[in-house]
Amino acid sequence: MAEARHSAGMKRYVVVWIGLILIVAIEVLLTYQHLPAGRLLAFLLVLAFIAAALGVMYFMHLRYERASLFWSLIPYLIFALFMMDHVWPDAFRLMHQRLPAP
Amino acid sequence: MGESAMTMGARPGALMEESPYGIQSKKLAIWLFIIADAATFGAILFAYGYLRVANPDWTRPFEFWPTIANGIAMTVALLTSSLTMIGAVQSAQAGRKSAGVRWLGVTMALGLVFVLLLLREWSGMIAAGWRLSRNPLGGSVLFGATFFGITGLHLLHVIAGVVAIAVIASGFNRDRLDAGHVETTGLYWHFVNLVQLFVFPLVYLMNVR
Repeated sequence: MAEARHSAGMKRYVVVWIGLILIVAIEVLLTYQHLPAGRLLAFLLVLAFIAAALGVMYFMHLRYERASLFWSLIPYLIFALFMMDHVWPDAFRLMHQRLPAP
Repeated sequence: MGESAMTMGARPGALMEESPYGIQSKKLAIWLFIIADAATFGAILFAYGYLRVANPDWTRPFEFWPTIANGIAMTVALLTSSLTMIGAVQSAQAGRKSAGVRWLGVTMALGLVFVLLLLREWSGMIAAGWRLSRNPLGGSVLFGATFFGITGLHLLHVIAGVVAIAVIASGFNRDRLDAGHVETTGLYWHFVNLVQLFVFPLVYLMNVR
């Protein structure tokens, strides 16, 4: 009985695993389409976030935890990453603020 | 004052208040660590991304064979180890100790496959003249720093995970640790594997020749 429940539970994870492998395969195929770097980066990032979401929700079981855990963790992480994305370009200002050589 | 006296004197429910998340404290702790670590990897990957896009002389040295094929093998090994870790957690929760320990052993073996493949990659690059601050192809020297830095930090996480799984497997086999410990270690292991889903496309595929 427990063995049957175990194998039934594993099927769902095997499907997610196949999905993740397919996403990696699509990423490799896209890479050899010789897209512009910016567009390739955007495609790869979108696919990576989809893969990570599948992993977090199913492999890490966040889908089966209370919603309060999700809402306490994930928005914070997205906010932190969003702020990094806004702060990093500021570093490039330094390139234009160099003092002239004496 | 003894512990029982303190307990008796305390407000009913004060010591056993339910977690708002309905999970054990060790599981909440590993989630908080994972979120902090995700922000760390996010920071270095953002830094790498801006360096990669902003440098007009960025080197793209990777051929499909051996580097990208090696990267695919590393990614598949880690993703498969996530599946075997789920097998370990489910076996442990069902009380099947020997099956749980076996699954943990397979998970460790797949983690070691990843470590060996990455070290092979590194040794090939070092033999070709790559260093943290040297680019044998003449482009930006930051390529070596970012490649070895990001993959090295991830490698440390994988090695730490393999050691943690070995400790947990040993304790679980001797009945010193329970299924909750296996699950908590599993969460860390899945996180480490998810990082590879960003490292592979951003650090490997974005640098294909």
